[in-house]
Amino acid sequence: MRIEEHPILSFDKGRRVDFIFDGKTYEGYEGEPIAAALHAAGIMVLGHSHNKQRPRGFYCAIGNCSSCLMVVNGQPNVRVCTEKLQENMIVETQVGKGDLR
Amino acid sequence: MRTTEIAIIGGGPAGLCAAISAASLGAKVTLIDRNDNLGGQLIKQTHMFFGSQKQYASIRGIDIAGILMKDLDKYQDKIELMLDATVIGMYEDGVIALEQNEKYIKIKPQSVIVATGASEKFLTFPNNDLPGIYGAGAVQTLANVHGVAPGKNVVMVGAGNIGLIVSYQLMQAGINIKAIIDASPKIGGYLVHASKIRRMGIPILTSHTVKYAHGKDRLEKVTLCRLDEKWQQVPDSEFDIETDVLCISVGLSPLTELLWQQGCEMKYVPELGGHVPVRNENLETSMKGIFVAGDVAGVEEASSAMVEGRLAGLCAAKALGYIAADFEEQKNDCLDQLNSLRSGHVGEKIRSGLAQVTV
Amino acid sequence: MLEKTGVATEQDLAKAIPTKERLAKGPVAIIECFQRIPCNPCYTSCKRGAIKEFEDINDTPEINFEICNGCGVCVSNCPGLAIVVVDESYSNEEALVKIPYEFLPLPVEGSFVTGLDREGKPVCRAKVMKVLNTKAMDRTPLITLAVPKELSMTVRFMKHHDIYSDNTFICRCEELTLGELRELIRKGYNTIDEIRRISRAGMGPCQGRTCRQLIMQELAAATGKKMSEMPISTFRPPVKPIKLGTIAGGERGE
Repeated sequence: MRIEEHPILSFDKGRRVDFIFDGKTYEGYEGEPIAAALHAAGIMVLGHSHNKQRPRGFYCAIGNCSSCLMVVNGQPNVRVCTEKLQENMIVETQVGKGDLR
Repeated sequence: MRTTEIAIIGGGPAGLCAAISAASLGAKVTLIDRNDNLGGQLIKQTHMFFGSQKQYASIRGIDIAGILMKDLDKYQDKIELMLDATVIGMYEDGVIALEQNEKYIKIKPQSVIVATGASEKFLTFPNNDLPGIYGAGAVQTLANVHGVAPGKNVVMVGAGNIGLIVSYQLMQAGINIKAIIDASPKIGGYLVHASKIRRMGIPILTSHTVKYAHGKDRLEKVTLCRLDEKWQQVPDSEFDIETDVLCISVGLSPLTELLWQQGCEMKYVPELGGHVPVRNENLETSMKGIFVAGDVAGVEEASSAMVEGRLAGLCAAKALGYIAADFEEQKNDCLDQLNSLRSGHVGEKIRSGLAQVTV
Repeated sequence: MLEKTGVATEQDLAKAIPTKERLAKGPVAIIECFQRIPCNPCYTSCKRGAIKEFEDINDTPEINFEICNGCGVCVSNCPGLAIVVVDESYSNEEALVKIPYEFLPLPVEGSFVTGLDREGKPVCRAKVMKVLNTKAMDRTPLITLAVPKELSMTVRFMKHHDIYSDNTFICRCEELTLGELRELIRKGYNTIDEIRRISRAGMGPCQGRTCRQLIMQELAAATGKKMSEMPISTFRPPVKPIKLGTIAGGERGE
């Protein structure tokens, strides 16, 4: 959900761009964190924990807790709470710890 | 390898003020921040600051960031900015290693001001890892920086200043606060913040805690319970609140990893948020040439972080031989400001914490 | 107890409230700040010197009610939003209470809102007398409410009427809800004619008689204008529904 009006702030948003999350196309604003775009689209589960398979969302939103690791453009272990959204980015739920390539 | 006179790690209120004051004395400064913008957590503080005019009282945090940035511009020739740059280590020989745009960069400074801030503490209760359970600062970032609502309803855990301020700010963004709870029998934050939230009809439940979070893929409901004066659960006092967001605002812990790497003497001081460095009046740690400022030195308000930054900047520059005629005057002004910010009833905790680590 | 509830008690308030005689004379600031915290903008912002100089920045404000003229400058400068201005000289039945209000939508001058007490409980209907939102106030607008005089020390906040929710119908004929109207305003339809064209509100059988005023109020609130400044819709015949046949029949009724 986007905040459309605010008594104190005006949000300078980037260009509206498409990105792909797990095969489906979504819209977001260029330059905002991927996690913000996903959250705005109602996606709060960003992955699952390795061992107990618990759903994972972000916790800190500023790159401290590393609870939001996803695969971005093929690269695993990207902290999506700080990684900026770009047009046609391919964002995937990460299974496991990611592979060395 | 690059060199610089003073490396400042962290461009929040403390780091910014440190850079400005060190550069104003003539030192060459490298200011490093992991974000692509400066200001640290100021950029999401939409409320007016407390304090006096010297700490920008009555001005909104977001605008203070702008004021400091303008001051910084005055010393462009002295200050090198490294943004999107995350310091990943500080080595025994004093070399700082950082990552910037996937490049590994090493810098050898003559002295360092660590102003890395703090990170949010977590709270223990079953299912505390469900999506929808966030740090209060995270929700503030999401709403105030990125313009995205964390959810429809929020239960806030913690009636300290952050819990109270973030609750108010979420209401401003059109998000409903169901309740603010705190395990303590008293409200920890400023009572004027509490009063302005109560006027909006939001309950503040002191002596309450989270017992359980429920939900399959994400938070749906929380079970709260009441605590007695010994902080034990009152039997049969559980009740449920349906909510899609639970914000945890139970304090911050200083981000001290780099200080540990340097071998600075550290002490566990709960009043200051956890392990903090032992320091002298000049904010220099037990390691010569390593200074601290802001929350990394002990969790406090941003107002004191700014003054500490200024003080650390002055002292670090002086240690390198940059003398200002009015150095003592400036330093005493900083010390006076810090004393007055900490002198009241709410500064009691800070004062007792600092007494344990200041040599 | 204030420390436990966040709500000032009568004991706390006793220090903040001037005498009946002073209240009767006209506007005066009521500073509800009872905790020693490091903060002094009320003192530094008062150009009349009505607030005693702070020896220690943690001092709680001491106001000289005889010097204070209720100008309200301190109200929007207080980081704790702990100050209101009360004017009991307004009329025999009503007092004015000026509160800081940092929320959207702002109320519209002349409209009615619900007055809330320090716990957020509704206590009265209050008329919005003035909405002041200057640059100097830096996004802390001041709302002047007229409230029953006996509630001058009770009303400390306001909310829009509960009936003012997203599910409320604005246009009965074309079934436009307030939520839908707000969505249209957000999309940039900012005059009543634009709203009419996109939603048909006001173009149904009643021809806007039920909804026109409500839409304009909402537009005024959203655009920060006064009702008197709002452009009105174009009026065209027929002002009430008639049979097509009646018109087709012409003047002779054929």
